[in-house]
Amino acid sequence: MNKLFEGRSLRFIAATMVVLNGFFPAVWILLTSLKTEGELVHKPITYLPHELVLSNYVQAFADQPLLKYLGNSLAVAGMSTLVSLVVAAFAAYAIARLNMKYRQLVLTCIVASSMFPLVTLLVPIFETMRNLNLLNTYTALVLPYTVLSLPVCTLVLVSFFQSIPKDLENAAMIDGCTRMGALWRVVVPLAAPGVFTAGILAFVNAWDEFLLALSLNASASMRTLPVGISLYQGEFTFPWPVISAALVVAIVPIAVLIAAFQERVVGGLTQGGLKG
Amino acid sequence: MALINRLRDPSDKTLAVMMLAPAFLLLALIVVYPIGRLIWNSFFDLRLSGGGEAKFVGLDNYALVLQDPDFWNATKNTVLITLITVPGALVVGLGLAMLANLPFKRQWPVRLALLLPWALPLAFCGLIFAWFFHSEYGVVNDVMRRAGQTEPRMWLLEPTWAFAAICITIVWKTSSFMALILLAGLQMIPKSLYEAAEVDGASKLQQFWQITIPMLMPSIIVALIFRTITALQTFDIPYTMTKGGPGNSTETLAMLIHKTTIDYLDVGYGSTLAVFMFVLSLCVTGVYLKRIGNNA
Repeated sequence: MNKLFEGRSLRFIAATMVVLNGFFPAVWILLTSLKTEGELVHKPITYLPHELVLSNYVQAFADQPLLKYLGNSLAVAGMSTLVSLVVAAFAAYAIARLNMKYRQLVLTCIVASSMFPLVTLLVPIFETMRNLNLLNTYTALVLPYTVLSLPVCTLVLVSFFQSIPKDLENAAMIDGCTRMGALWRVVVPLAAPGVFTAGILAFVNAWDEFLLALSLNASASMRTLPVGISLYQGEFTFPWPVISAALVVAIVPIAVLIAAFQERVVGGLTQGGLKG
Repeated sequence: MALINRLRDPSDKTLAVMMLAPAFLLLALIVVYPIGRLIWNSFFDLRLSGGGEAKFVGLDNYALVLQDPDFWNATKNTVLITLITVPGALVVGLGLAMLANLPFKRQWPVRLALLLPWALPLAFCGLIFAWFFHSEYGVVNDVMRRAGQTEPRMWLLEPTWAFAAICITIVWKTSSFMALILLAGLQMIPKSLYEAAEVDGASKLQQFWQITIPMLMPSIIVALIFRTITALQTFDIPYTMTKGGPGNSTETLAMLIHKTTIDYLDVGYGSTLAVFMFVLSLCVTGVYLKRIGNNA
């Protein structure tokens, strides 16, 4: 009995530590966003707000086009997720299912592309987009972000396709489906969970990216959330309550997304990670 | 007709080529062509600000880079950040993974606590931690004051402390992803190994070094590779926390390349800097890949 209690409280302490570590920045920024400017510069600092205000949120939307940033981030992340999925699904199907030579080499080539830091390719990518007149367009970010997510999406999808019995496809073809018909009617629906997992990973990748977004889409109307919010700071001023409010607005969508699909995300991450 | 039939029901080979084409076209546009272009540019004096006239200068840019104190400073910072934060994140991540591996009734709060830092954009993380390390209103100094430190520490205003603050932030941000990978590895270790060790009278510490660490090695190596590659690219956190300052004490290679090409539009020199960074990344990943090759 005594030992059982010991084990339980140990587990409780362990869980508390992990949870505190993961949540404290988000919680702190939420608390900051609800404090008045006066309370924020009060010393010693207060931990819980004395008076809850929403004015910082109003200010965050008034100072900068936060909604526009949100829209840009959603558009860029959404589009690059779709393109990554289509491109990776094709490649993964070929690698997992088709009778072809150099299967392993092809997969290695795609995965190795993630070993090249995109940072070092910033200059030529910038030049290419400039020559194609694509700077400050969604396309300028969608193309590199697709490449960014291609390796992990391909890895996750290859292992999903491999787990679908080939007989199902053959049966569909015997029943009169063409090869592409069987792919569309049998394989795609069965691979849906894998496609979904890969999609979330691609979305988070694109949602988080900063350097390319900062360099390729610098104009105010094309900024993504990370770039836009980092620009709330003036030369010498740091409007902390307003930045905090903007951060809360930006963190909520992605937090909800991963909270809703956490099991899938963990599965996808470890699958992509361990096989890579 | 034959062509239409072939398209409707293609052979494996045709289908494979068709299905791999989009991926390889994209890689050609965003990776292969840029690598070639990068090397080509590095032999030119090419400034977009001055009309963009390219002048062939051979290896001059390379000689300039080697004599450039900013380059050596940025390289030093990048290597130091890698050497400090990669093992740092491994140790913290392993701790988190072992804690998270205890049998909890409710898994989701722990899992979410590991996922949240992973999904938090690096740039946000930098902003939030800059606020933590604020010398007057930051929570770090407040905790230190309560613990008896009388003088507030000027975290982001002094070179050494700014560097330390950045490393702490990176370790916090990246240890959760490490923990996720390591947790998956921990869960694959058969319980029977520990039971057998228990019977043989091995202590918990012995079990950790003799069973957990060796069995976890493949996951550790994968996590280290991912982490090292991203550490070499460090940009977002120092950029949002200190803009590379004070002075250029926290400027990384990625920041120097960004400043040279995007702010100063000096494409030729920026490309040469990028070639050096590229070679550095290749060396590091090469060592790792060789290591994996030996293990497999």
